[in-house]
Amino acid sequence: MTGQPIPSLRSQLAVLAALLILLAASASLSRLPLGWWGLVIGTVIAIGQALLVLVIFMRLRHSHPVMRMIAVLSFAWPLLLVALTLGDYLTRYLLHAPW
Amino acid sequence: MNATLPEAAVQQQFDDASQQKEAAMLGMWAFIATEVLFFGVLFAAYVVCRWRFPLAFVEGSAHTDFAMGTAETAILLTSGCLAAIALRQIQLDCARQSAILLMITSALGVAFLVLHGMEYHDEFEEGLIPGIRYTQTGPDARGVELFFSLYYVITGFHSLHVLIGVVLLLVMAIRTWRGTFSSAYYTPIEITGLYWSLVDIVWIFVYPAIYLVGSAG
Repeated sequence: MTGQPIPSLRSQLAVLAALLILLAASASLSRLPLGWWGLVIGTVIAIGQALLVLVIFMRLRHSHPVMRMIAVLSFAWPLLLVALTLGDYLTRYLLHAPW
Repeated sequence: MNATLPEAAVQQQFDDASQQKEAAMLGMWAFIATEVLFFGVLFAAYVVCRWRFPLAFVEGSAHTDFAMGTAETAILLTSGCLAAIALRQIQLDCARQSAILLMITSALGVAFLVLHGMEYHDEFEEGLIPGIRYTQTGPDARGVELFFSLYYVITGFHSLHVLIGVVLLLVMAIRTWRGTFSSAYYTPIEITGLYWSLVDIVWIFVYPAIYLVGSAG
């Protein structure tokens, strides 16, 4: 933990620029009639933005391995939750809505 | 860095300042993990409901303010960068610059909350608040109601986190301005920055889920 390198101002601003460009891309692409692909593209862009924030702004790149492990696990667990929940919903007969 | 922390500031259960900082960071990451799980459950509910009622979610999203949501996202991303630079500046012993950056970050958080409050107001006028004022009709009205129920739970809890972050950032800005922190000791600023980044990350996923579903239509 000691002696953590100090990031350059340029790198921080470059990441902000990348985040805003990705935001613009996400917003622009959502205007196109891409159907379910829009969801996929939006999710991929969001994951890219989140990784930038995690690695650069939250400094995971130079963090202790334990912190990185907790970070990976904390995001892997909800993914597992969603995957298993969807696995249930996609493989059984759905009840009709009560309206 | 924090190894030069005055010995008196090291709590008795730690061997040295470095170990104290590692414990603080580990605790913060454990807290972040619980927060991710908290929002993860809400996103899981969203995914299931969206899968079940895709057209209603497209219609519901079309009622949200796309421009406002995009502006709010840009504000949060910028504030996250400023918080990261504030940490950098305190590492370089530029306490005043760090305090000002923390103050601006906090102000951007307030701007986010104001914009979101305006959105809530518009949605109230439009009759889009389930259980309070919901006036939508049509074949997908119930599904849209479900969308807005999730919308208010997710964005409401997120806004609560933003509010807490704004207060934390203000406290950190004041303490930094008063000279509490320096390159020798800045762990609270680092931890507050981690919290603010978490708020950022949650919103990064909320934005496409809420605002971009129905914008093509």
